Amino acid sequence: MPTIGINELKPGVIVAEAVVSRDGRVLLAAGGKVEARHVALFKGLGVSGVVAAGGAGGAHDEAAAGYVRDYFVFLNPDSPVVNELFSYAAQAVARRMESGWTLPSLAERRAENVEHLSDVLPMETADPDKIVDHEVQLASFPDVYFKLRQEMDSPTGSVQSLAEIITRDVSLTAKLLKLANSPIYSLPEPVESIARAIAVIGTNELSTLALGVSTINYFKGIPKELIDMAAFWRHSVSCAIFAHILAKALGEQNTERFFIAGLLHDVGRLILFKEMPYASSEALLHARENSLPIVEAERAMLGFTHTDLGRSLLARWDFPPQITVLVNQHHDPMSAPSPREAAIVHLADFFANVAGVAAGWLYVLPPLDEKAWELTGLPPSSARRVMSDFESQAEKTFSAFF
Amino acid sequence: MNTSPVTSFLLRKASAISDEEFIQLRDFIYAKCGIWIDEKRKYLIQNRFEGRVAKLGMKTFTEYLKFLQYDANRDKELPFVFELITTNETSFFRDQKQLDAFTDHILMPVLAQQRAKNRFELSIWSAGCSSGEEPYTLAMILAEKLGPELRKWRISIQGCDISLPMLAKAKSGVYSDYAFKTTPEAMRRKYFTPVEGGFKISPAVSSMVSFQHLNLNDAAAMKRLPKSQVVFCRNVIIYFDTAMRKKVVSAFYDNLQPGGYLILGHSETLHGITMAFAPKFFPGAVAYLKS
Ligand SMILES: C[S@@+](CC[C@H](N)C(=O)[O-])C[C@H]1O[C@@H](n2cnc3c(N)ncnc32)[C@H](O)[C@@H]1O
Ligand SMILES: [Fe+2]
Ligand SMILES: [Fe+2]
Repeated sequence: MPTIGINELKPGVIVAEAVVSRDGRVLLAAGGKVEARHVALFKGLGVSGVVAAGGAGGAHDEAAAGYVRDYFVFLNPDSPVVNELFSYAAQAVARRMESGWTLPSLAERRAENVEHLSDVLPMETADPDKIVDHEVQLASFPDVYFKLRQEMDSPTGSVQSLAEIITRDVSLTAKLLKLANSPIYSLPEPVESIARAIAVIGTNELSTLALGVSTINYFKGIPKELIDMAAFWRHSVSCAIFAHILAKALGEQNTERFFIAGLLHDVGRLILFKEMPYASSEALLHARENSLPIVEAERAMLGFTHTDLGRSLLARWDFPPQITVLVNQHHDPMSAPSPREAAIVHLADFFANVAGVAAGWLYVLPPLDEKAWELTGLPPSSARRVMSDFESQAEKTFSAFF
Repeated sequence: MNTSPVTSFLLRKASAISDEEFIQLRDFIYAKCGIWIDEKRKYLIQNRFEGRVAKLGMKTFTEYLKFLQYDANRDKELPFVFELITTNETSFFRDQKQLDAFTDHILMPVLAQQRAKNRFELSIWSAGCSSGEEPYTLAMILAEKLGPELRKWRISIQGCDISLPMLAKAKSGVYSDYAFKTTPEAMRRKYFTPVEGGFKISPAVSSMVSFQHLNLNDAAAMKRLPKSQVVFCRNVIIYFDTAMRKKVVSAFYDNLQPGGYLILGHSETLHGITMAFAPKFFPGAVAYLKS
């Protein structure tokens, strides 16, 4: 019997168990049918989801489970948390199928023709540092980034000059204000200026956000045949949201750096697209054809992965080390200096990939380091809670970026 | 309200493959064809094989492994194993820039040398040719470059693969749209005719190409192939470990005539495999010269 998160809940669902409000009132008895007014009522009273009876949804269950299973081939089928997430993804896919979604076909799951694109270096001589060298020589980096970086390092830095730097960049300001007003902060009152955002959220916190968000414009102009950039950023922002949720759940301080590490965790892939478009598309093709996670396909094809490129790029930008390390280790959290912190972004990436399955993401899920999950001390069942927290934050937070 | 999680789907479908069974299966596959499957792919392998195991009416991987090793019909099972572990992704004119570099900097000079020697023959080996798109592409390039002169030449393009179904498809010469995803429309119009189920390669092109079932793990069989001026082995050695790569690359070396070239897939290199070849850099491609 599937649990349906409140944001997924549609009228017509029959509940298998009574829906009860926080203070114990029965809002809908077991066997009752959810109507539009119920959905609004449940939301209003903070009900996070309902247990739906099988039946109506059953028709697609098998196809959905089969489809999702193909994404989980790098995962331990006996891990409780993996099963929890598998079940979540299968239910999400089944629900989407009910509302008319047809599963992506094999043709869609294959890369597009990129014969017109060439790499800047032959693979024979390419390595991550050379690729990044070429990249940073060509593309000019957002001015605002360096100003922020200076400001953060300066002993004489002030709230006022920070606000000034940010406000001069219109698009950055807009994004930050939307973020400040998004569910990740759920502030009691809307924040309307950067100065106010700094006051409410904190100077360090807002600087971290500003620094991370200011890099996004750098990655424009990647050919659309290579990758659906909207899907890429959706994955990145999802990872950011999950990292933020997990960091909070684990009682971390300065959760912004987890958010930003999540946002930028895969930027190495963007460097690969910009500099080595043909090789990167071959790696994607290899991933799809061989049911490999992208990171494994890169390793096999190129001999390095997007984390090596990310590492080199962030070092070149002199990105704050406490964020860089989280990005660098997102596929290998246990060898980070602080595995527990690295585990947060590693898990966030994994959760974001799971959430992506029902959104049409086409690549096999990367391996999950089960030790990273153990480090969090969370019970496997809490994976669902993390997912529903994410669902309640996702759309509004996305809108800060798109 | 009940917020406790309900696991209504189970990831595990069939009986598990034990570590021991996985290692045995992996080693068996490696011994047969040199394809190396690392530990991370354990569940993938389980996922790919469990259907086959069930279809044969077997309950465990151990049973299947016994069958593979000791059954009287064990050799008949091998093609199924290969189908489950190989990927046959390919298309006509795949990596156009590399093919252009090959045409301008390797093929044309070789043709000129042969003409100068009055030896109108050329031999190319396409190792791991999958369903034939690669050798047919090379034949189309030759047809384009030689034009009416083609009649004078004895061209032999030898396509080899371990997969019998792929070779059967190659011999049939009929392709669907997917095979043309990297193909200039003019080439399709010139060298293919529409038939039931797709497009058929023209006899003028296919007559240059022959196909042979060959396992790159079989050194003796490779020795029997005619010597070539060029070996194409694209997107194949990526599936091998270093030892197997060394083995096949040394077979390519032996097969090549002096001054011949080895061409690998776009991102493949000879790093850590051999120093016997000299890499030649062309715009968009690297070719390895037997010097
Ligand atoms: C990805 S395809 C490459 C096709 C083509 N060369 C291209 O680049 O488009 C790899 C091919 O290598 C073949 N192969 C793998 N191992 C082999 C072996 N040991 N001997 C012969 N062929 C093998 C597979 O059957 C498959 O058709
Ligand atoms: Fe990644
Ligand atoms: Fe990722």
